[in-house]
Amino acid sequence: MASPPQFTEPTVSHTKFASELADYEDQRDEYEARGWLLVEAHFPTVFVVMANTVLKPPPIVCGVLLEFTNYDAMPPSLKLVDPFTRVPYTAANLPTQLNRSLPAQSVQLPGLPAGGNIQMQVAQPLMQAHDPQAVPFLCLAGVREYHEHPGHSGDPWELHRGSGAGRLVRLLDIVHRYGVEPIKAYGVQITPAGFDFGQPPA
Amino acid sequence: MNAQPHQIEIVVVVNGNPALVHAEQGTHLRKVVEQALSDTGNVGQPPENWELRNAAGLELDQSKTVGHYDLESGVKLFLNLHAGVGG
Repeated sequence: MASPPQFTEPTVSHTKFASELADYEDQRDEYEARGWLLVEAHFPTVFVVMANTVLKPPPIVCGVLLEFTNYDAMPPSLKLVDPFTRVPYTAANLPTQLNRSLPAQSVQLPGLPAGGNIQMQVAQPLMQAHDPQAVPFLCLAGVREYHEHPGHSGDPWELHRGSGAGRLVRLLDIVHRYGVEPIKAYGVQITPAGFDFGQPPA
Repeated sequence: MNAQPHQIEIVVVVNGNPALVHAEQGTHLRKVVEQALSDTGNVGQPPENWELRNAAGLELDQSKTVGHYDLESGVKLFLNLHAGVGG
């Protein structure tokens, strides 16, 4: 992943990066129990592989590649990547969309008596892209790709910088909570295969 | 400050940063959250913008008390910002 030029005083970014890692290491056992496997942490890169610990056997769901160049004058970059090759997923092959449920909407269907509403539950994916072949970004304040998107020019990083929105653990927690934890079961489809021709009638 | 005999110690991990909070069984978790945010310098967002979860990932209702969840001394809770509104 190509990093942008480091224009922030490097000592500042390195110190803040080290602080993020120190906080992570302090609770590392807890995070490993959630299925967060820290593979690399070397400025400016943090690479975490996320597994789902509920399913048996536990699957690796995705890799999370964060890049802290210019942190925290700029927020970190976050991409969901192949956990083995670190190649960013395109929107079309994302293993998880990070769906967030929105408040249920009550809809009156035509033909139903008054009050016979149905509740519609809508899911909003936090991973957004304009093209199925584009690399999606996590549509969340605190992520560099979110703040660099022209649609979010009214929500600059400076409004969130002091809130902890771009902190390492917070971003990993979002990916885990919406992208990994909701996976509750395997779906197994059994398809008969290897049929031989039947015997001809006698 | 050490805990009083009737108090328990709660470790609240705020965005990865631990804070030790003393609380009684009747203390509302909202107060625990406020104390943890104050101790860790996270004052940019109000308590309602934070989610409090236990180690199992269960979100705890901040309007409930410590005793409601039978929290024991030394328990570790995790406080993270809501995802907010995307789009």
